[in-house]
Amino acid sequence: MSEKKNTGRRAFMRAAAAAALGGGVWLAATPSSGAWVWQIDPRKCTQCGQCATHCVLNPSAVKCVHATRICGYCDLCSGYLQPNAPALDTGAENELCPTAAIKRSFVEDPYFAYSIDETLCVGCGKCVKGCAQFGNGSLYLQIKRDLCVNCNECSIARDCPSHAIERIPLSRAYILKYDDDSKGTE
Amino acid sequence: MVPDWVWAALAIAVVSVALALFVTDSPERPGDALVYDVSEYEAVDAEDIRYRETLRVALELENPAALAVDNNGHILIAGEGALLVLDEAGGELARREIEGRPYCAAVAPDGVIYLGMRDHVAACSPEGDVLAAWDMLNERAWLTSIVADENHVFVADSGNARVYVYDHSGTRHTVIGERDPEQGLHGFVVPSHYFEVALDTTGALWATNPGKLGLEKYREDGALLGAWHQPGFDIDKFPGCCNPVHIAFKSDGALVAAEKGINRVKVFAADRSFEGVVAAPELLNAGWKTADFPDDMTPVRDIAVDGNDRVLVLHGPLRSLLIFEHINK
Repeated sequence: MSEKKNTGRRAFMRAAAAAALGGGVWLAATPSSGAWVWQIDPRKCTQCGQCATHCVLNPSAVKCVHATRICGYCDLCSGYLQPNAPALDTGAENELCPTAAIKRSFVEDPYFAYSIDETLCVGCGKCVKGCAQFGNGSLYLQIKRDLCVNCNECSIARDCPSHAIERIPLSRAYILKYDDDSKGTE
Repeated sequence: MVPDWVWAALAIAVVSVALALFVTDSPERPGDALVYDVSEYEAVDAEDIRYRETLRVALELENPAALAVDNNGHILIAGEGALLVLDEAGGELARREIEGRPYCAAVAPDGVIYLGMRDHVAACSPEGDVLAAWDMLNERAWLTSIVADENHVFVADSGNARVYVYDHSGTRHTVIGERDPEQGLHGFVVPSHYFEVALDTTGALWATNPGKLGLEKYREDGALLGAWHQPGFDIDKFPGCCNPVHIAFKSDGALVAAEKGINRVKVFAADRSFEGVVAAPELLNAGWKTADFPDDMTPVRDIAVDGNDRVLVLHGPLRSLLIFEHINK
């Protein structure tokens, strides 16, 4: 009876020790909610293209994200089509994205919806610049929290010409471009 | 024993290599495939510039946004809390205090001034006193352009993508821009807050359809009379997703159009053939930085044509009125 009790206690102690060890390893491996992480301020970003080439990860942890609430759903999307594209379709020669990461789907004449295939996006910001220059700026770059390894010194931030990359609390995680329903002029 | 000259040569070689590495060390730059570049379309051939800037007037006005010319040739400029009246030479004739921030302005032939606030129209006397504030529109409303003739006031609402036709008492008679897929009418496509109306020299109403990259002509009852859409990046077309951003007409029927993305003002003859450039990007982009005005998609807040066919450009970041005259060759 007492041996049985001892065996149960030992098993419990082992399980508790394993849980504590596992928890410790997990806490050490992931930034706590009080940690600071790198993020791009989209209002400062000039889409120089270096996010694609300067990240320690390949492909970069920087990805294009889309604020659909302010998207114009344009047929002639300047973030999707090459300038002066000869035809308004999804032919590779007409697409602006070098990796074809932007997907276009018909909504109703003359509107199209756009989404980003994150697995293809390299974070160059080419589409972001096209969208910002001619459109509402609904496309913008962000460092994805599930990909970023949160280097002590971010190698993109070191060379960012517009100083757009800054540390923010993990609890904030992202710097969203718009949080109202405006079309981008205010 | 190694001779001294060997050590000296070795030291020189090491220093040379270090210097070479230091000088040639530059961060890796992204290749052309990763960079968005429309500079080839921004370049304007000098021969295409048919206007020259003859006057620049600095404005003591917060957020200048609206520009109009009255029958006396006076220039009205509205901004945050004030309405300026200038003479043809840019001298200030009067300054009226107004409430709020107008986004557009027009002067009717009888001298009544109509100011487009965000969600309603305010009618003002020539002295600037508010005569009436018309009914408020819905919460999506964002009035961006207004014109008036003897009988009507035409108002463009970018938030709802509609043009409203009012009489001078503020009664709304017609709404233009309803979708009717059965008749192939997709209405106005207005991705951003740039949506314009203007009257040509024959009195016909033109409205931009920015998402279709062009203009459409309407009757007062809303009937579509014609469309002129010019998508493309060449200089005789309208680039991007939504252009032109401002329009005005000269006395000979020529269309003056301002664009965003590639910031320029250009003129199309009455037959809509390309006539020339009024202001090239180089001129409009000088003296200010985009980063300081993140909410401005273009420096041009409004344009107008006066009785002498001068092109008036309201430059927001510079808080200035730029006046251009045709170069007679």
